[in-house]
Amino acid sequence: MCSACGFPAAPGHWTEAGAATPHDRLRDRFRRAQVLQSVLPAYGLTAHDGAQVPGIQLGTLSGSQTIVRDLEAVWAEAERLSGKAIDPLDPRFIGERTA
Amino acid sequence: MILPTDATEAAENRMRLTVLGGFLGSGKTTWLRHQLHHGLLADAFVIVNEAAETSVDDALLGQAAELAVIAGGCACCEARDELVTLLRSICDKRVSAGNGRPDRIVIETSGLADPGPIVGAIRADPMLAHHIVISEIAVAVDAVYGLEQLRQEPLSRRQMELADRLVVTKIDKADEAGLARLLATLKAINPGAALSGAVKGSDVALPDYSDAEPEVLGEIDEGAGGAPIRALKLDIGEEIDWTAFSVWLSALIHARGDDILRVKGVVRAPAGRLLLQSVRRIVQSPEILPGDAAGDDNSLVFIGRGFRADQLDKSLRHFAGLKERGQA
Repeated sequence: MCSACGFPAAPGHWTEAGAATPHDRLRDRFRRAQVLQSVLPAYGLTAHDGAQVPGIQLGTLSGSQTIVRDLEAVWAEAERLSGKAIDPLDPRFIGERTA
Repeated sequence: MILPTDATEAAENRMRLTVLGGFLGSGKTTWLRHQLHHGLLADAFVIVNEAAETSVDDALLGQAAELAVIAGGCACCEARDELVTLLRSICDKRVSAGNGRPDRIVIETSGLADPGPIVGAIRADPMLAHHIVISEIAVAVDAVYGLEQLRQEPLSRRQMELADRLVVTKIDKADEAGLARLLATLKAINPGAALSGAVKGSDVALPDYSDAEPEVLGEIDEGAGGAPIRALKLDIGEEIDWTAFSVWLSALIHARGDDILRVKGVVRAPAGRLLLQSVRRIVQSPEILPGDAAGDDNSLVFIGRGFRADQLDKSLRHFAGLKERGQA
C-alpha cells in the first residue's frame, strides 16, 4: 500500500513488529533467545541475547561466535554453520518418524 | 450520424465488470485498495473471492462503496454458482432501485482462480449477460516472481495470457535484468494486453527495455508439478505468543519458501492487530490494523503445497514449548 491508502506499518524487521514499548522489546529479545535455544542445540548450535548489544549471538560447539541482526539472518547463518537445513517440518519437530 | 441500435443502448446501460486476477501474492488487493482510495473506482461494487475460508482482504478494502466476500473456494470452480447468484442479486437490486447504481463491479479473484471460467459463467447466464458487460480482465503480475511463475505454474501462465491489462507490481523490488526479461516475455505471450507498472498500488512508468529478449517458455507438464496447491487455515489461538510464532514462521519460510507460496492473517500482539502477509520468502512489514479484536484474528491462511495443517500445528507448538494438542 502507499503511504496514503495503507494502515501504519510496524517499523523494523517484521519479526520485531509485536512489541509496543521498550519493555516489550526487551522481553521479546529474551523470549526469542529462549525459543532459539530450544531448537538450535539439536544442530550443534547455541543462541544467546543478553540485550547488551544489537543482534543475536550464535555459537558453535567449538566455541566460535557470530552476531546476526535478525531472525532471517539467524536461519541463513545457522544453516551455514551447521551445514544442515533447519526445517520446522522435520520429523523431529512434528513427532513423525520416517520409515 | 449513426443512430444507436437497441443493442448498443442496452450495452451502454449495462454495468461494467472488471475481473482483477493474478497469482497468489501478486498485489491484487494492494492495487485495488489504491484505486479505491484515490476514487478511481468510485461507486464500484467490489466482490472479493478467497480460496481459503478466512478472508483478510475485505478488511483492507473498506473504501469500496459496497463489498461482498465469497470465501472458501475459487469463483472459477467451487464458488462459481455462488458468484452467479450474487451477481444476479446485484442486478435485481439495481433494477429495483432504478438509479443506475452501481455502474461498475470489480471481482478480485482468489490467487488460485482462472479468470476464463468466471468470464464464461457470466456470459453464459442470460440475465447476467443482459445486465453486465465485461469491460476488462486485469491481471497483476509480481515483478520479482512473475517469470518463475510463468515457467512453473500453469495457472499463473493462463492468468497472464488471458489478461486485457497486465499490471506489473513491485517493480521497485525487481532487478533490472529480471524485469526486462519479464516484460519482454509478457509482450511475447500476450501481445494485445496493455502493460503498466505499479509500486504499492501507484502507477509507475515501466522502463523501456525494448531490446530485451523474451524467454521462450516450454510446455508445463501439469501432472509433474508436484502436489496441488491448497489453502489451509492454522489457528494459533491465544496461548502462543508473537515472539515464538515469529521465530517459527521465519524458520518455516526460510526452509519452505518455495512451497509456502502465501501466508496471510491477523495476529494479535502487544503492538496491536498485526496484518501479516508473505509471498514466498518475502514478508511485508505488518500493518497495524485499527479496531478491536475480531473473530478471525490469530487465524492464518497458508497456501502452497507439501504440508498439512496438523504438521504446521505440531511444529508451531513445539517451537512455542507447548505440548501437542490432546496430550496431558
